[in-house]
Amino acid sequence: MDLTAHYHDGHVAAVHDVICWLDGEGSSSALVITDSQSRAELERWNADDVFPLYGRKGELRIGSASKPYGARLVFSGYPDATRARAMLPALAVKHRQERGKQLRTMGIATAALVSVIVAYVFGVPLLASRIVGLVPPELEKQLGETVVAQIEGALKADAGFEVCDPEPDSLANRAIARFAARAVEGTGTPFTPDIQVIRTTIPNAFALPGGHSFYFSALLDQTETADEFAGVMAHELGHVVHRHGMEQLISTSATGLLIGFILGDMTGLSVAGGVGAALIDSRFSREAERQADRFAADVARRMAFQPAGLANLLERVASDDQMTQALALLSTHPLTAERRQALEALTVIDTSLQPAFTAQEWQAIKTMCEPAPGPASDSDRHKTDKNG
Amino acid sequence: MSMAEGQQGRLAPVQFTGARSELFGLLFRGYLLMVPTLGIYRFWVTTWKRRFYWQNTVIDGDPLEYTGHAMQLLIGFLFALAFFLPIYIVFFYLSTQSPEITLVGYAAVGITLWFLSGYAIYRARDFRLSRTLWRGIRFDQRGNAWGYALRRFGWSILMVLTLGLIYPFMAGNLWRYRYSHTWYGDRQFGWTGSWKTIAGPYYRAYFVVVAALIATGAIIGNVQAPLSAGPGVFFAIPGTLVVGGLAWFYLRSREATRMFSQVRVGDTTIAVKVRARSLFGQFLLYGLSLTGALVVFGMFIGIVVASLFGQAMLNPGAEGAELARILQSGWGAIALLVAGYLGLIATFALFGEVFLGYGYWMLVARSAVISNADSLKSVRATGEDRALVGEGLADALNVGAY
Repeated sequence: MDLTAHYHDGHVAAVHDVICWLDGEGSSSALVITDSQSRAELERWNADDVFPLYGRKGELRIGSASKPYGARLVFSGYPDATRARAMLPALAVKHRQERGKQLRTMGIATAALVSVIVAYVFGVPLLASRIVGLVPPELEKQLGETVVAQIEGALKADAGFEVCDPEPDSLANRAIARFAARAVEGTGTPFTPDIQVIRTTIPNAFALPGGHSFYFSALLDQTETADEFAGVMAHELGHVVHRHGMEQLISTSATGLLIGFILGDMTGLSVAGGVGAALIDSRFSREAERQADRFAADVARRMAFQPAGLANLLERVASDDQMTQALALLSTHPLTAERRQALEALTVIDTSLQPAFTAQEWQAIKTMCEPAPGPASDSDRHKTDKNG
Repeated sequence: MSMAEGQQGRLAPVQFTGARSELFGLLFRGYLLMVPTLGIYRFWVTTWKRRFYWQNTVIDGDPLEYTGHAMQLLIGFLFALAFFLPIYIVFFYLSTQSPEITLVGYAAVGITLWFLSGYAIYRARDFRLSRTLWRGIRFDQRGNAWGYALRRFGWSILMVLTLGLIYPFMAGNLWRYRYSHTWYGDRQFGWTGSWKTIAGPYYRAYFVVVAALIATGAIIGNVQAPLSAGPGVFFAIPGTLVVGGLAWFYLRSREATRMFSQVRVGDTTIAVKVRARSLFGQFLLYGLSLTGALVVFGMFIGIVVASLFGQAMLNPGAEGAELARILQSGWGAIALLVAGYLGLIATFALFGEVFLGYGYWMLVARSAVISNADSLKSVRATGEDRALVGEGLADALNVGAY
């Protein structure tokens, strides 16, 4: 059976109109390529060496493994292409092999990526704490100063940055400093804790790398007992002792790199990257919160207060706003019920110890932010369920 | 002179036989497959897309052939990753420093990346050319990628210093460098243009846009009381945008026409003619179909949301708590968010490629005419092939189009 085709020999950029046919049977058969005019033989292609190439619709392009890289036979139109495929069974075999190879490559690459992600999600919390151990405390302190400056700048531009009681020797500040010093006693932390109460309308408290912690006045307004206050502070000091700020910085950067790898976006700036990174990071930060809770419970045992006060306060703040619960999965705080159980399980009160704060001290702390009526106290007034 | 002989040579057309629907189909399928493969399939999408463009570009009866494989792009990307890791670590370190150092550091990293992108563009072009066959003969690019990066970097500094006025000189210089290092088998390409090739259209477009900006500034600056402003202010800014857009289509079409028409391969020349209005037509098609697609996509998301949260909406008493409970249960809402976002990105990318990418390639290819095509028949393949080996770092950066 004769087939017409275009032929390129792979040496010279000429086009030959050719007629070709199969000579011989089985493994020794060869495709004979002859000039369509003179019928002179141009080439013989071993029928086992041929392989298909990608061509446009209705066109079959084939090459030969034993011929020059660019040598091609091109059959145009479905009838000729179909007959050529029937004549050369090696084409279908090679096509299947190539397809299998591609699928395997794709499968291996995907599996490798999945295992990287899994290893990452489970490995980085462990790894991050090891890496943090290698970061010199001096560097972390320096970083903490930078972040404090950034936060002061942001608050000044927004709602104002004001330390509630700037006098370090006041009763309240001395009580807080003594509490902090006792809480971190024996932990071997290289940082000197420094807790400041700041006047803002946001009910929050957090720790920064290097020992700085903030307690916001809006949260203090909702804090009803000394135990609640002590619980939150011990929790934040837990972050300081475990160097969670630094740990989070490292793991967030690593997450950015991983997401960048998946999306092929090395700048890691895209929104999809942001969402993915937030999902993975929230896992790490929930683990960090648990660690800080355990630390708080440990401090509570040494300093005789109820760590469950922390959970009470969290519930009170959360009940102000349903949507904060709605986004619980993405939020950095674990679910309150789960935490409450953990905290209550850890509660052991030894009444023989001196309490964390005396009644006078707690009163002084509670009223730290009161003398200057600012926007904070205005906006908090509608929260009716406090100080009942 | 060879130019005179060239005019007597046989004229050969270039055809483009690919259907937009075929490209749409392969991209749609490709984007879907990127989901289960966590994005790994993007190297296959790129490969399939190139095959589509190459094999449907038929020059004098014979199509181009793309011989690259997705695996090469994947390996190239891994190289690029190793290359980016140190930069990423520098970024991390800088983010822990004081704001001043951070700013200076980011600027330095940005400039480094800009310099490297010149290298990447040149290597990516090398990758594509060395994996292109026509009549069984391979194209190639020689020259020095670092040299090209340095050259491009220097020109871009001059661009900033001259407020873009030097562009025609830069374009002429870079086009000449690229084409004089491009080979078809043993025959060298050339580029016979100069800065004058694009200077006319460029300066016309430049000064029209500058004049429109000055006029806008004058109109807005002259108005004393903005509220009582006449229609002049109302039309000034949209008017400037329209002028800028039209100038862009004009310049882009003239650039394709004039710059490609200066390309030579030995005695063989090429002539390209792309009209501004054809280019604008493709853009119009893009805008209309993208709008349509986004409306359909938005309705689809709306229906999904409504069916998921319909219960909560119908029950006004428990509305807030119910909605919160569904959202709190968590993964459904996040899956919806992520799917919606990825769908949106994919829609933009898909329509951009099917209308703008396809449109430009198709207009350039269909308008091209090759003179003295027969002189190409004597081109011989060059020595053994280095094209089969991956080309290292920048292959996967894919900085250029297509």
